Amino acid sequence: MPDISYPLAERTLPNGLRVLVSEDHTVPTVTLNIWVKVGSRDEVVGRTGFAHLFEHLMFQGSRHVPSGEHFSSLLAAGGRLNASTWFDRTNYFETVPKGALELALWLEADRHGRLLDAVTQENLDNQRDVVKEEKRQRYDNAPYGNAMRDVYATIFPEGHPYHHPTIGSMADLEAATLADVHAFFAQHYGPNNSVLTIVGDVTEAEAFELVERHFGPLPPTATRRVEGAMPPLPPLTAPVRFEHRAAVPNDRLYLAFRLPADGTTDFLAAGLALDILGGLSSSRMVERLVRTETIATGLSAHPMGLAGGVSLGIISVDVLDEVDPAVVERAICEELDRFAAHGPTEEELEAAVAETERSWLSALAGQDERADQISHYAALYDDPGYLNSFLDQVRAVTAAQIHEAATAYLLPQQRAVVAYLVEPDAGGSESPGDLTSVQAGVAQ
Amino acid sequence: MSADLGAPTAAQPVAQPETGSQDRPVALPRPEVTPAEPFAVPVPIRHRLDNGLTVLSYDMPGQYIHSLRLAIPVPVHQEPVDKEGVATIMARTLDEGTARHTALEFARLLERRGVALGAGVGESGLSMDIDVAKRHLDYALDLLRQCLTEPAFPQDQVERHVATRLAEIEQERSVAGHRAAAEFWSTYFDPTARASRPVGGRAETVATVTRDDVVAFHARHIAPDQATLVIAGDFGGIDVIDSITRALGGWTAASAYQAPPPRPSAEVASDRARIVVVDRPESVQTEILVGCPGPDRRVAGGWAPYPLLGFLLGGAPTSRLDALLREDKGYTYGVRASFRPRRRDGVFHTSGSVRADATVDALRLLLGVLDDAREGFTAEEVQHGVRYLTLTAPGRYATADAVADEAAALAYDGLTTEFTGHTLRELAGMDAERVGTAYRRFVDGQWTVVLVGDAAGFIDEIRELGRAAVTVVPT
Repeated sequence: MPDISYPLAERTLPNGLRVLVSEDHTVPTVTLNIWVKVGSRDEVVGRTGFAHLFEHLMFQGSRHVPSGEHFSSLLAAGGRLNASTWFDRTNYFETVPKGALELALWLEADRHGRLLDAVTQENLDNQRDVVKEEKRQRYDNAPYGNAMRDVYATIFPEGHPYHHPTIGSMADLEAATLADVHAFFAQHYGPNNSVLTIVGDVTEAEAFELVERHFGPLPPTATRRVEGAMPPLPPLTAPVRFEHRAAVPNDRLYLAFRLPADGTTDFLAAGLALDILGGLSSSRMVERLVRTETIATGLSAHPMGLAGGVSLGIISVDVLDEVDPAVVERAICEELDRFAAHGPTEEELEAAVAETERSWLSALAGQDERADQISHYAALYDDPGYLNSFLDQVRAVTAAQIHEAATAYLLPQQRAVVAYLVEPDAGGSESPGDLTSVQAGVAQ
Repeated sequence: MSADLGAPTAAQPVAQPETGSQDRPVALPRPEVTPAEPFAVPVPIRHRLDNGLTVLSYDMPGQYIHSLRLAIPVPVHQEPVDKEGVATIMARTLDEGTARHTALEFARLLERRGVALGAGVGESGLSMDIDVAKRHLDYALDLLRQCLTEPAFPQDQVERHVATRLAEIEQERSVAGHRAAAEFWSTYFDPTARASRPVGGRAETVATVTRDDVVAFHARHIAPDQATLVIAGDFGGIDVIDSITRALGGWTAASAYQAPPPRPSAEVASDRARIVVVDRPESVQTEILVGCPGPDRRVAGGWAPYPLLGFLLGGAPTSRLDALLREDKGYTYGVRASFRPRRRDGVFHTSGSVRADATVDALRLLLGVLDDAREGFTAEEVQHGVRYLTLTAPGRYATADAVADEAAALAYDGLTTEFTGHTLRELAGMDAERVGTAYRRFVDGQWTVVLVGDAAGFIDEIRELGRAAVTVVPT
């Protein structure tokens, strides 16, 4: 594989804004991507879901931009834009024709520096309603829609920053006030708690000059979040489980594991172990449960990288009708034991690395995803060059390291199981219990 | 936010410079947007192999992952009516073992070089997708050849995929959006039309599919002469046509092969203009799907107004539907509208899910927006939509997979990305009158409406709306 090497230049403004620029002149567009170091892990008790609700308010106008105009003026300039919120961060991004880059910077600077003038009770109420519908659509009215919420609540202890999902709870969304919006902006939003990346058809000098022009005047008002401060969370020492009977089409099990934080060799090794176990079409568990014993109709496994001292590994499996889910769970545990005993074969390692290479290069093919990865690793791991070094790091992982990671993090006794089971004669849609009842029996 | 598509905007006021302080930092004047460079959608180099396979190649420097898309217009209407879904089972078992390799061996061969291969059947036919690093192109092409020319369709793998499809049917039924779509097609099309039933078959037909059925369907319908292979990626230092010829030049049709007959028109049901409620007690939202006939790509007057209309009505939080239902009323996370050309018999779809207790008002307002659009659109709206669709094109067609996907979708229709370029040029000259005329050509207020939700909460009021006959069916 010819090693990829995307150009990368970096500068930090006096107000603390970290700026990264990667020139790419193959297409006459530019991506502007901003990571703010605030996510659902930073939310306080009684305000779950707030980071995401706040993200919606960022589209409702700022001092010089009327409500809705951020969207409409970038769309009219040929921009594609969005934002998203996750445990560790909130990101804002647009890809625009290069002649609209300065407009994008002006709009972003206005909302990242001067949002509060425009926030109104009416906007808050409206976006609260929209977010509640988002929650209903994606989680409450979907089969298995709340399964990942239950995974987080089962594997992370009560009070841990990753214990609750980014979408939050209806009660907490309901409780959010304008005062919360002001306090949240003051604490988390500002150039000194953000990373800004530009990728595309612009020179480094032009890009730095434009960013300086629009973001340079913003004062460093945020409380800068220090990365790496969350203590490691060790693996579970005994299995925990949460069972939910509901009107789902088939039994589905989620087996979750605490992995090391992202940005570490141990995390890469554990991720490759998960690929080998269940992430590929030729994986051991797929071969046994899906192809050979045909007790499952599908099985997947993947690592979910997080920055705060712990990541998540997930194996999910759809149980074939009339098969006892306990049989399926036992087979998965046997494969975990077998892997822990012997580690991967060279052929398995080769496949896991090859699949990682292809998916990484596919992801970086577009300017937008490339910009997001640069921001990601700059903001959370102080390593913006990760996009160029990642594949070398993956190829350097040895079979022995994967074996070691599996014995440290992927043992049957380290699993948290969330089981969504078909309710006999269930009428109507699923009516999930509230989060509190989920936590009761399972908190560690 | 949900959407990355958007809608037009009013003229923007220009902010004035002001003096700042620590509390109120200086803001610069709103920057002007400088004009975009002219953009041409990539067009392919076309090549035809001796066996009839059409190859469309797109050299895209810097795209190190090659995207290949094989489009074969397999006629699903030719599936035996009691075996519907056999084409889908065939597609899913093409890579589950070949003359020389078991299913597991084949999966390992793919993955040891990071070859991502997928296959499926849609309304237009069979599609096979490969994404692979440039240096493994020849390797991937040889595996594609094996899938196409010597699939083994092992008995156990066919049975497994039948069971998986049966489970998938139940999963689809449990998802409100899927359930709404299935009910829409069965209401909208006449029961005699294949399009009134799921492409992947129903439980009672899928359950009867055997290995022999799969083998026979493959022999009868899979051949190179109607097929198009799209390849996009960085071709520096390699000869992709030579590679493809070496791999697939020997692919020939089986003796049982029958070239696809002309595609029959799908009859719309005579009673399609009605409201069907799929009753799901305790649903916290209602899924709404509204539709009526729409154009295909060859419609008189041109296709170009229709992507624009979808965008103006249901493309973003600023589109007409979301401006009202999301940003004003807060009833929904988002409502989307689009004209779907299909190969023929296009459909205009609008869908979204709304808060359960707002179902009636949401449907009334939604139909109102769609009906009122017959009055037309302002020049300003049209201009903004045109700008969005034309100016985003360079970014939308910047990667190998995006170009390959577009090219393959058009290949079933006998078109290439030259059509995409033509549409963009037509859009650039679009005016409000043409847009309004195009909309009125199809939209006459006669809607097929499907609601998936808790009928008890709204059924009486839905009837009182008086829009159309209402029936209730179980979930």
